[in-house]
Amino acid sequence: MASDSETFEFHATLSHLDEGLETLHDSVQRLRDSTGRGQEDRSLLRFEIALAEIGANVLTHGRPAGTDPPVEYSLRLDHGAALAEFIDRGPPAHSSINRGMPDHSSKSGRGLPMARSLLDELGYERDGEINKWRLVKRL
Amino acid sequence: MTLEVQTRQIEDGVAVVAPTGRLDVAGAPTLKDAISEVLKNGQARVVIDMEGVSFVDSTGLGSVISALKQIRSSEGDLRLAAPNQQVRVVLELTTLDRVFPYYATVEEALTGF
Repeated sequence: MASDSETFEFHATLSHLDEGLETLHDSVQRLRDSTGRGQEDRSLLRFEIALAEIGANVLTHGRPAGTDPPVEYSLRLDHGAALAEFIDRGPPAHSSINRGMPDHSSKSGRGLPMARSLLDELGYERDGEINKWRLVKRL
Repeated sequence: MTLEVQTRQIEDGVAVVAPTGRLDVAGAPTLKDAISEVLKNGQARVVIDMEGVSFVDSTGLGSVISALKQIRSSEGDLRLAAPNQQVRVVLELTTLDRVFPYYATVEEALTGF
């Protein structure tokens, strides 16, 4: 079980989709190793699924066309919860944040509803020209 | 981790497609290409062997839905075999386990297919 005394911090700058996703999965594995949790730990598994969904969205849509600004990513343990944050400079994402789960025949649109249902908190804020995402899952 | 896909023909019209790696937004196009290839070769009953898939995301899942549509339009059928815990969580969360009944092993999926 995680305790409040555990500390874990991970920071990365993500520039490419495939490498960026690899970094996200690697950070969760480091958190697993650091807290002595196995692959079967359900809370961390659910957090990792949500993280990959938001991460894929941010890395795909969070960089304006024709430019390649990186995405800032951090992951830490905060009072027994996994807390991840993304900062990107893409267009506002307000219109998609509350989207519901599409029907079975749809090939897309499941990422955000999945992430919302897997996390204890999914925060989104537009601050000037940047998007801030905050993902929290109690472990 | 790049997704790799191996395909083997079991009998006339039946193929097993076995992706290895992460079936995510980066890997999904590779699975799509492999499914198109088996359909082109006349194999419309397809088992996707998920044993080597370490992680699936919503785009990866979308590529499986896309495969199902392609296969059904060729009057075939699709079965999933050996999904790991993470894949099962995603299938259940999206209620797509009702669309893709999954089998514990490839052998089970091939029985009566």
